[in-house]
Amino acid sequence: MRREFLKQSVALGALAMLGGARSAAAADPVTMWHIFGAETEPGLKNITRWNETHPDQPIDQKFVPFGQLSQQLIKGIATGDVPDLITIDNPVVASFATQGALEDLTDLVKASSFIKPDEYYPGSWATTLWDGKQYAVPGEANTLALYYNADMFKARGLDPEAPPRTWEALRKAAEILTDKDKNVFGMAFCAIQSEEGTFQFLPFLQQSGATLKTLTSPDAVAALQLWTDFVAKGQASRDVLVKRQFEMTSSWLAGASGMVVSGPWELQRMKEVKFNWRVAPLPHREGKGIEASALGGYVWGVPKGARNKAAAFKVIEFMSEPAQMLQAWSGGRLAPVKTMQVEHPAMPEAYATFRKQMEVARPRGPHPRWPDISAAMQTAIQEALTGKSTPEAALQKASRVITPILDRTPIVGL
Amino acid sequence: MKGHQRLRWERALDSEAIWPLMAGFGALYLAFFVGYPVIYNLIMSVQQVTLGNISTVFRPFVGLDNYRKLVDDPLFATVFQNTLIFVTGNVALQFLGGLALALFFQAAFPGAAFFRGMILAGWILPPLVIGAVWKWLLASDNGVINYALRGLGIVSGPIYWLSDPATSLIGVTFANVWFGVPFNMILLAAGLAGLPQDMYEAAALDGAGPVRRFFALTLPMLQPTIYALLALTTIYTMRAFDLIWTMTHGGPVDSSNIFPVWSYHLSFELFDFGGGAAVSTMMLVVVFIVALIYVRSVRTERVS
Repeated sequence: MRREFLKQSVALGALAMLGGARSAAAADPVTMWHIFGAETEPGLKNITRWNETHPDQPIDQKFVPFGQLSQQLIKGIATGDVPDLITIDNPVVASFATQGALEDLTDLVKASSFIKPDEYYPGSWATTLWDGKQYAVPGEANTLALYYNADMFKARGLDPEAPPRTWEALRKAAEILTDKDKNVFGMAFCAIQSEEGTFQFLPFLQQSGATLKTLTSPDAVAALQLWTDFVAKGQASRDVLVKRQFEMTSSWLAGASGMVVSGPWELQRMKEVKFNWRVAPLPHREGKGIEASALGGYVWGVPKGARNKAAAFKVIEFMSEPAQMLQAWSGGRLAPVKTMQVEHPAMPEAYATFRKQMEVARPRGPHPRWPDISAAMQTAIQEALTGKSTPEAALQKASRVITPILDRTPIVGL
Repeated sequence: MKGHQRLRWERALDSEAIWPLMAGFGALYLAFFVGYPVIYNLIMSVQQVTLGNISTVFRPFVGLDNYRKLVDDPLFATVFQNTLIFVTGNVALQFLGGLALALFFQAAFPGAAFFRGMILAGWILPPLVIGAVWKWLLASDNGVINYALRGLGIVSGPIYWLSDPATSLIGVTFANVWFGVPFNMILLAAGLAGLPQDMYEAAALDGAGPVRRFFALTLPMLQPTIYALLALTTIYTMRAFDLIWTMTHGGPVDSSNIFPVWSYHLSFELFDFGGGAAVSTMMLVVVFIVALIYVRSVRTERVS
């Protein structure tokens, strides 16, 4: 889950042209489509490193905005024009894999001396497998936590050193921070009708003790009720229904909310924040004590029909070395390998919090029909938050769509 | 020598012998750039298409299954109704807005040409930018529009323009109307400029007031322009995608979902390529009918 900016695309367009011009002269380039938009992206730095150390086989790169990644890959497959290497959003790997769009990397990964599966966060690694085969390798990871405005906490009599650790405390804090006269909401999150909405809701569903298989349970209802109450009581803006994650974070940065659920990719913007802020792990539900967060990030895949599979895998191995992987933090993302740790990270407290969240971050799926499952969840969230249905009814409807899908093809470990 | 050659060229271009060549070129262009994608899409819509077979043409034939699935989908009625409202609203409001502005700028006040040019700026902006700007303007808590409405005492609480299923379609329609009005204005202004002025002078001498002149002269004489414009606006609106995608993603609860958005969602998010193609084909049929009505109306216009 990343935000994308026009500004960044423009900057990158210029960069991509430079890169393209340089590699055009080379003998046998590895073609790569990636989502590294901003100039400061560690991914771009890593590409430059590769090019410097591998002048005989440089990377011929093309930037594709995150939101257009699937679309571009589909077009590429349809016209037979695919790159050797591509970054893929982790929940759609299974869809691409089952439809035969990705090369099987099982043997290459087994033989690799750089990529060791047991060193990765299990959630991250799980997103790259389907049906016992390896279709991708995690490139980076991100997750969700609770950002909060420490100044606002203090001003409202809340202890900035003790962020809400339970749902009950979260409800309370949201209520106290809400100031209707000043148009300030206590709580903010993203419930948009897109993958981002599902991404943000799933951790709450998991904390409740429910899963996608038990959507009609009182636990699942409690999770959706929590979100619904925030909106119904005016403690979260109704605009959570149409605003994307980066837009909700922008509102929080502007002081329009006291807390916001967001990811480490926003840390770049925190350098210019005027108020004191902190980031805390997502709360858990009292009586359950389940810690859970979301798992985002891209993975490296080799599209079927790629010309240069072997060279592409060499690039994957290079990008999986600690020197490259640990760069992720400078772009506000994490290495998907738990044994790798940045030594003197910028924003050490935030780094520790997000690494802690990575321990409990759960993958979306993997499932070839994840997009359908996600769409049903989005509808349920939106129906409940708009008041069109009760949380119970909305989840029952979602369950009628999701249960048959999971009965046919279950999610491993669910 | 050179002059002689040019003469030969001109004669060749003037001769009737070159007509088949010209027609052939036109037909070839149409077949390749219009016919091919349309037929390709049509074929896709009756096949079972996956990522595994998308690069070939020979895919399992499923007849009208894709269409049947769409029509049976509870979303179909919603999306159909939304599209109908969105398109009708846009065509009507863009036309009225464009006409009002065109008539306004017809008055020769100082700076009229400059302001008319500036209004066109809105039409030059990419829909993504327009969507983002309107999303800010329409934000329920700190958007300018709600601020103004409350400041003027028109409403007491915020209107949840985009986040209320009851108004989200109105919100995106607003933005799209704003986007389309300049285009309507400029075509109508061009049409107005081409009307013979002596008719107006004669009518004024006969005692016809401005309102009478508008309904008896301007509107009938503008008819060809108006037909062309209504057809074009319908077609443009039928494919509005970026703006809605930026503003609401088709939500909340599909309340601003229209056919192009649904088609994209099916093809590129759910990997249901056959379904996406079927939606496109249905849109194409509608656009084709509109184009046909337009062409026929222009033809009868010429005959009479």
